[in-house]
Amino acid sequence: MKEERNLNILNNFNILYLEDDKSLLTHTKDILDDFVAEVYAVNTSKEALEVLEKENVDVIISDILLENENGIDFLKDIKKQDIEIPTVLTTAHTDTKYLLDAIKLKVENYIVKPINIKELLNTLHDILYPIIQSQEIQKHSNVIKTISAITDSKQVEIVKYIISNLDSEDQLVTSYSDIMEHVSISKPTLIKLFKELAEKKILVKTSHKTYKFDQEALDSI
Amino acid sequence: MKKSNRIRKVISYFDNLPFSYKTSFLLFIITGGMFLTIVLSQIAIYTLKNDFDILFEKRTKPIIQLEKIKDTYQINIYDTFYDIQQKTIEIEQSKEIIILGQQLINKNWKNYKEIALSTKYEKSYITKLINSFFSIKENDQNHVLQKSIISNIDRKIAELHRTINKIVKDLERKKFKEALEKITNIYFEINSVNIYITNLTNYDLNLAITEKNETQKVYSLLTSILNIAIVFVFIFSIVLSVILINNFRKLHINLEDAVNEKTKELQEINDYLAIKIQREVANSRKKDLIMFQQSKLASLGEMLGNIAHQWRQPLGSLMMIIQSFQTKMELGKLSFEFVEQKANDAILLAENMSNTLDDFQNFFNPKKDKTKFSIKECIEHSIQLSKYILEKENIKLNVVIADKLEIYGFYNELSHVILNLISNSKDALKSKEDHKIIKIVIKRHNEYARINVYDNAGGIKDDVIAHVFEPYYTTKYKSAGTGIGLYMSKQIIEKHMDGYIKCKNVYNKIDSAKLEYGALFIIDIPLREKKEVEE
Repeated sequence: MKEERNLNILNNFNILYLEDDKSLLTHTKDILDDFVAEVYAVNTSKEALEVLEKENVDVIISDILLENENGIDFLKDIKKQDIEIPTVLTTAHTDTKYLLDAIKLKVENYIVKPINIKELLNTLHDILYPIIQSQEIQKHSNVIKTISAITDSKQVEIVKYIISNLDSEDQLVTSYSDIMEHVSISKPTLIKLFKELAEKKILVKTSHKTYKFDQEALDSI
Repeated sequence: MKKSNRIRKVISYFDNLPFSYKTSFLLFIITGGMFLTIVLSQIAIYTLKNDFDILFEKRTKPIIQLEKIKDTYQINIYDTFYDIQQKTIEIEQSKEIIILGQQLINKNWKNYKEIALSTKYEKSYITKLINSFFSIKENDQNHVLQKSIISNIDRKIAELHRTINKIVKDLERKKFKEALEKITNIYFEINSVNIYITNLTNYDLNLAITEKNETQKVYSLLTSILNIAIVFVFIFSIVLSVILINNFRKLHINLEDAVNEKTKELQEINDYLAIKIQREVANSRKKDLIMFQQSKLASLGEMLGNIAHQWRQPLGSLMMIIQSFQTKMELGKLSFEFVEQKANDAILLAENMSNTLDDFQNFFNPKKDKTKFSIKECIEHSIQLSKYILEKENIKLNVVIADKLEIYGFYNELSHVILNLISNSKDALKSKEDHKIIKIVIKRHNEYARINVYDNAGGIKDDVIAHVFEPYYTTKYKSAGTGIGLYMSKQIIEKHMDGYIKCKNVYNKIDSAKLEYGALFIIDIPLREKKEVEE
């Protein structure tokens, strides 16, 4: 469903990459460097913990089988320290034992080696996208709040009423009197506002008391 | 024709009798014949003796008595009377002589009658039995004659004696005339008595002759019976002996046939067994070959795991490098330097992979020829091949090379054995938490290169250790174990390399000064190739 992800959103994130195979670590880091803000490439869980203390890490990528240790154990360790960072596991072993452990630790994803970099990037995108989205929403509501603070608040309220009363087919079934019952606004002002919206084809009257909200018209402005 | 048929029938009946019957029959015939002969001869002798006795006692003695009577009459009485007539003798004297003569006559006569009429000298019961059996007739009517003669003589003698007594009385009364008259009469009387006695003597002699004839008859009869019996026994013995000998011969031939047959059967069985053994040997060889293949396949599985693991890492890196080109290109950041650097890395990785492949390929290539090689090299190579397993199980492997040794043999096979032992130790060490160690020591032991493989897994169980080299013996439940690894190892070491492999549990300072208990596998491989020397 997300054929083309906008990988640019990764630009601002820091990644901790834990992998014992140095060659693989280097080559993967070289690629990831182009997409993310910073890749902290480490060989051992000890180094990884040091990084976690010092740096701001958004996503952890960890191999399960490390030299003399285990990626799962490392994750358990950091969960104990109440560090909640989304994690992707990579492994050559499709062992169900690891898989069950991984699910219990609420690992975000599980990538089977050899790593397909597209898969990895997409996974990172999917993990980070909700974070970006919530950031965006926060940003937008701030914008609206700011706008309503400096312009006519009545009109903003009407718009809010319209948007929130749209049905599943983006249709609004209402009358002026209905609106006026909810928002204290004069009828001429209301008519003027609807007319303005109709001129910009944002809200077009289709039949009696029925209006169609057009998303595309809004986007083209 | 009928007779000969019957004889043939009898013979064939004898022929068909069981052997033991025949022998006992022969024995019976011989003993029976012997017994018969002895009994018959005893009877013959007894009868003859008896008859002679009778002849003497009953016939000869009475004749003597009779002769005596005659003599007495002649000498005592006749002559005395004659002397009296001639008067050359005293009457008193002659009276004594006559009385004595009378007494003698009476006595002898009495004796004779006793003998003649007594049953003491009757023929013996056996003789009678034989006589009646062979219907030899005795002339009983002669007895009547004898009796009449005897009674006549009795009368005559009594009369004579009365007359003699009268004469003696007359003579005493001196009646010579009367006496002489009577004496003349007496001469006649004496002669007639003597004639009677001679008659009796003749009678007795006749009887003796008859009896002698009878005896002769009995004798010849018994002799002929004896002869017939002897001949019969002889013939029967010979016939039976011949039959028996024939039987022996037949038996011998039969036995020979039977033995030949059995020998033939044995030969056939032998041939069959030889073929079967050959087939079994071939089968066993085939089986060994299959097992060898199986064990190779088993280690192939492990080796594949090794290869897979050893390839997985560089393969991951290679993929990453390739993908880096792709992403760099997409981002338009692909620089010459980047390509150069990544390509070099990729080539290094690929070379590494290629080397890994070569290593394993060498192991699986069945090298047919025996070569001279260094044990150290072979063992290090084997360790290299099992590195992944050891790393995975976190097992430390120490190699101690006391002597640098070269042996002549199949490099891959020794490698196979070492891999097998390492694999076994690895399985044994699985139960151990940490401090897992395998130690391999190479040293010279007399004329052998000795490879000791220790581990600290706690040793092999007592009930298992005796069976570890048996085929299809495995303690590994459904896991990797096929149960042929150690069997094949033994085959390789003992059959292909003329060496020895054994195992025991020992305490060993495997890593530190501390003694640890574990299994020890000892491989001895001759430093000089025996067959090479022989050839």
